[in-house]
Amino acid sequence: MNLIGNICSSLFPGLSGDTKNREAERAIDRMIRFPLLTLIKSSIVWLIIATVFGLIASIKLHSPGFLADCSVLTYGKVEPIFWNTLVYGWLFNAGLGCGVFLLSRLGGNSAGLGVFLTISVVLWNTAVMAGVVGIMWGEQLPFQWLEFPAFVAPILFAAFIGIGLWSLLTFRVRIHRSSYASQWWILAAVFSFAWIYTAAQVMLVCVPAQGAIQALVNSWYVENVFGLFLAPLTFATLYYLVPKTLGTAIIGYKYSGWAFWSWILFASFSGVANLANGPVPAWVSSLGVMATFGLLIPTTTISIQLLSSFFSRFSVIWDSATARYLFAGSIVFLLVMYLKIFGALRGSLDITQFSVYDSGVAQLALFGFAGMTFTGAMYFMLPRLLNKELPSTTIVDLQFWSHLIGLIFVSIGLLSGGAQQGELMNGSTADVLVVVNTMRSSYFLTTIGKAFFFIGALGNGVTYIWIMLSTRKSEENTTSLIKEAPELEYNAS
Amino acid sequence: MNRGPFIFLGVFLIVATSWTFVLFKANQEVGQLSAVLDEDLGKYVPGNTVGAAAHGKEVYQELGCISCHTQQVRVASGMDIERGWGERQSVARDYINDHKALIGNVRIGPDLSNVGARQKDRNWHLLHLYNPQINSKGSNMPAYPFLFDVREIVGEPSSHALDLPPAFSPGEGLEVIPTRKAESLASYMLSLKVDYELKEAPKSNEIMAEELAVALEGAQ
Repeated sequence: MNLIGNICSSLFPGLSGDTKNREAERAIDRMIRFPLLTLIKSSIVWLIIATVFGLIASIKLHSPGFLADCSVLTYGKVEPIFWNTLVYGWLFNAGLGCGVFLLSRLGGNSAGLGVFLTISVVLWNTAVMAGVVGIMWGEQLPFQWLEFPAFVAPILFAAFIGIGLWSLLTFRVRIHRSSYASQWWILAAVFSFAWIYTAAQVMLVCVPAQGAIQALVNSWYVENVFGLFLAPLTFATLYYLVPKTLGTAIIGYKYSGWAFWSWILFASFSGVANLANGPVPAWVSSLGVMATFGLLIPTTTISIQLLSSFFSRFSVIWDSATARYLFAGSIVFLLVMYLKIFGALRGSLDITQFSVYDSGVAQLALFGFAGMTFTGAMYFMLPRLLNKELPSTTIVDLQFWSHLIGLIFVSIGLLSGGAQQGELMNGSTADVLVVVNTMRSSYFLTTIGKAFFFIGALGNGVTYIWIMLSTRKSEENTTSLIKEAPELEYNAS
Repeated sequence: MNRGPFIFLGVFLIVATSWTFVLFKANQEVGQLSAVLDEDLGKYVPGNTVGAAAHGKEVYQELGCISCHTQQVRVASGMDIERGWGERQSVARDYINDHKALIGNVRIGPDLSNVGARQKDRNWHLLHLYNPQINSKGSNMPAYPFLFDVREIVGEPSSHALDLPPAFSPGEGLEVIPTRKAESLASYMLSLKVDYELKEAPKSNEIMAEELAVALEGAQ
């Protein structure tokens, strides 16, 4: 068995050749290699777990008899486990992994403290695991994306503070004193999550507000996890990797500051629109709708920047898996934002409220926008960290296409199905059983999509195991395997 | 933009403003409510969920029923009133006794704010939980067989046993007994009814229009 030797060789590449080549980058990679691999590995494991639970939940919607005898796998438990593993398992690990890599690379230095960071990451994942077991055990809280039992929250928070402090330290010790848009976005994400998580936990669990306010806090939190944490990390990744993979600076980069502040401002107020006509004051949802419209400004700016950069070097996306993922992420971003903005209109809200439409938009945002971008970034980071080539582009392609096909099926199932469901539920007095029957084919489409997600996730797992276990080829022993574009490392002030 | 503290301060101010304007202000407005005396009923409303129903509420939370069921009635949009899911708008005061509010925002199934008024038969709820296909054929609600014990009939059949149609019977000589969780959940379902009025809670667009017309006449 030479596998152990291969893993060691993956973790500790001893490279020959011109050692001056990429010296600075390799020094940074050495410092963050182990914690970053832990983040990537955890994200892949959670992705597989999340897609399995998503598949089970989706099957249960059209075939309620599936696994019905099993009390820990009833729909009301599987569904929150799916969302929580998706968000806190897959996307947090993947997104923070991108954050760790970008902050170190862009600053030209890392805080070191690899053990501290690794412990924080392991603690985070242990807490997520405890949360999943807690939900199965029957301890779930009735708050969306906060279903983990109350005792998990302090552990999650402590772990996050660990990762957050490491990020701040790394930003502080940077060698290149100027900063790039990606760094602002990562810092904003880290600061914001600490605030919104604290606010939500205090108002929901520690000193619970009255019932109707809880719904408001919950809705505010969910929208902000996307708008102030996941989306900023995704923007950070796109701003860094789009120039890297295309070999050109972001077109219209000077508008990035404007896009940054307007996004943070409007995103923080948006999203309580889904409480329209509920038991909260009417001005709350009006404010949310207005802020959602404000998001048109940063959405347009960022989309123009990214897409015009892509279209200036379009052929690259056929050659590079990373570029393809980033392009898909950018397109889905535009789509998601338009669905969100026009979905907040009174007319569409009257139809889609309480239907699976919202779930469709959220899955498009998580799997498509954030998920595809982070996956692309992972395929950029892995070869550099290990100084190895991706073992099989076929599997990477397979993962990309099954992810994309899954996305199409899930979107059609939940968006058009949700519109149909909402129309019947909110616009007619048709019996609920009739609505359920009408929805059966939409739920079935969603299941097909979820199955594709699962296949894609497996592909991701296979690639990771393969690249770690494969024997190092001769060209992978040299420093010239990776061709960097260092002039794009810190190209803006 | 080159300094961390600047970004930190900017983001902090924006998030704090959002918190103040959305959560804090709403909490000031409708987050400090208390029960009011309903003179017709001669008691303070809304009342607390007590006894078996309170335990049932915990079971509802534990099983994640909120993934498919809301507990809020809207009058300004949707068909909630026409569907018979309630007679008036749900308002903040309706939820003041909820330590953990089960308001929900997805309707794979019907709203349950008034399910206790719609379906008063305890046995119906127990059968529905054991297997929804018994009395809601075609539903995609899962069955909860693990909330019931299937056991051999020893001597006389138990008076608690479910009265199952033959197609759903577990077999000759066997009976299905609800566990405490199932009984509590059924009690909670029966307790879900908004049978009091609140002056801030509009009934429906039609009634609101009528009231407005009366008020305008009075003003003239």
